[in-house]
Amino acid sequence: MSRKNPNHIKNGSVAADVVIYAILLLLALICVYPMWYVIIMSISEPIHAQTLDVYLLPKGLYWGSYKDTLSDAKVWTAYYNTIIYAGVCCIGMLITCAMAAYPLTSPMLVGKKFWVIFILIPMYFGGGLIPTYIIMSKLGMYNSRWAIIFPGIVSMWYIILVRTYFATIPEDLRESARIDGANNFQILWNVYVPTSKPIFAVIAIYTIVAQWNSWFAASIYLTDEKLQPLQLYLRRLLILQQNLANQTQNGAGGTSDSEELAQKMILSADQLKYTMIVVATLPVMVVYPFLQKYFVKGVMVGSLKG
Amino acid sequence: MSTAVANKPKMSSEKKKMLFKDNLELYILLLPAVIVMLVYCYAPMFGYLIAFQDYTPGAGFWGPNTKWVGFYHFLRFYDSIFFGRLMSNTLWLSFLNLIWGFWVPIVFALLLNEVQHTGYKKCIQTASYLPYFISMVTACGMLISFIATNGLINRLIVALGGTAQPWRNIPGKFATIYVLMNIWKGFGFNSILYISVITSIDSSLYEAARLDGANRMQQVFHITIPSIIPTIAIMLIMAVGSLVNANTDMILLLYLPSTYETADVLGTYIYREGLTGGKFSFTTAIGMIQSIINFVLVFVANTISDVLTGAGLF
Repeated sequence: MSRKNPNHIKNGSVAADVVIYAILLLLALICVYPMWYVIIMSISEPIHAQTLDVYLLPKGLYWGSYKDTLSDAKVWTAYYNTIIYAGVCCIGMLITCAMAAYPLTSPMLVGKKFWVIFILIPMYFGGGLIPTYIIMSKLGMYNSRWAIIFPGIVSMWYIILVRTYFATIPEDLRESARIDGANNFQILWNVYVPTSKPIFAVIAIYTIVAQWNSWFAASIYLTDEKLQPLQLYLRRLLILQQNLANQTQNGAGGTSDSEELAQKMILSADQLKYTMIVVATLPVMVVYPFLQKYFVKGVMVGSLKG
Repeated sequence: MSTAVANKPKMSSEKKKMLFKDNLELYILLLPAVIVMLVYCYAPMFGYLIAFQDYTPGAGFWGPNTKWVGFYHFLRFYDSIFFGRLMSNTLWLSFLNLIWGFWVPIVFALLLNEVQHTGYKKCIQTASYLPYFISMVTACGMLISFIATNGLINRLIVALGGTAQPWRNIPGKFATIYVLMNIWKGFGFNSILYISVITSIDSSLYEAARLDGANRMQQVFHITIPSIIPTIAIMLIMAVGSLVNANTDMILLLYLPSTYETADVLGTYIYREGLTGGKFSFTTAIGMIQSIINFVLVFVANTISDVLTGAGLF
């Protein structure tokens, strides 16, 4: 009986296995193929990229569009800006998280309940786009790197996350350090920070990826191209140009001549666009498979809910 | 806590000094985060005052020259043709997203759990996270290029015998595009939680079921799914909490004047009329309505999830 049963289940599930493996493969392809298509289009011979007959593998090999893209000084400026924003926000975020989370776990803090609520309220009730914009402008952050950095170095979520992690560290450690004469700064730096490296790794990675991919704040506050990050450059290239072409295509005044011109512009620009996507996205694409465990950990810790 | 409380009645001056020094240090540590939050989170809440004024750019939120107009802007919005359109678009897009988006990660997690081959499983999982790491601008840019009249999708449709269409310009198609895009971007990442809950199910349950002669389907329906139902419930409730927050980021990148009638939501309208159009007071009033609805929804959602789990969000 017990030998027969497992066999029975197995027999019934071979067909099911094939179906399940196939569905999952299809889903994975849907996730990966668009990026793959962009990559092979970007390195195919321009002829093939224009006639759009590239589907599975690059046709020919052509680095011209990469040469064009990488010789554009604006791309490098945007790259530099993105790295600055991601780096500074990451470091700032780690510092403020550690600093703010520590007092919230200390039994000595007077008014702890008040400060916990102080941190929770903005998670429920936002200040709104326009008032935020007015305040930031009044503080002179319009068209300044601070518009990105200042809001980017504090997160209520991450403070709560770190606080939760800190709370698991035995109180004895703090007490014994205190008896040894250490002050709170020393305890935080020498006891709490070293034992909480995993959670800081999670926050660092989330912050960097979020900054690398963000565009909204920059589009509101940064009109100066010299300050704009990569994503705004991408937006101009991928979205705004396309919208413009779309308008001339659909516009009542559009003659067939200008329509053709617009069409041509889109076609030849496609390869450059795809190249720019690869240039901007490659760092994240290459790194994320190796950081997976941190992302998974982030989701898990986040779901534990303090 | 215990030391502080126990020593309170006969606290020596030395202890008091210690407590003061301690708190001085602790408050210094709190300071940077508190300053940023005061400026970036709390000051803008105070800024809601301009919803009740005729605010002129450059002025303060409160002063002798402030022109108070009461609920004028709220009523003007309520009476305008935009009220119905924006509200229904916002709720409808979020609702569709909730209905279609929430079960895909669950089914994906269930399917993935049936895979025995670890390497295959790992590869599929890694692939499914990829869209999450592609920036919104890139993802929308790719989509726009793929659904253009000569794009990948239309060529596929033509190859299958259909006719190419300018999908992005058709108002009736916006919701579909929006929902599919959200699913594509998020299902892999959103499945992480379900996968780990499924992995943590006691394997002796399955063994017992097998001994009782349960087949694979029965095991899924009687063990796996009941085990993840609490997680599903919490995730659903949380999703309801964000019902009034359609994905403004994505819509701003995807919509066109020709699709405003189905794509324009509260967030995009505020962005367009407020920042580009300079109607600060009017759009702040709209933002305030959105924030209040949002607050009520999140509060209710959290309270329900508190009751269900005994823990809740915090």
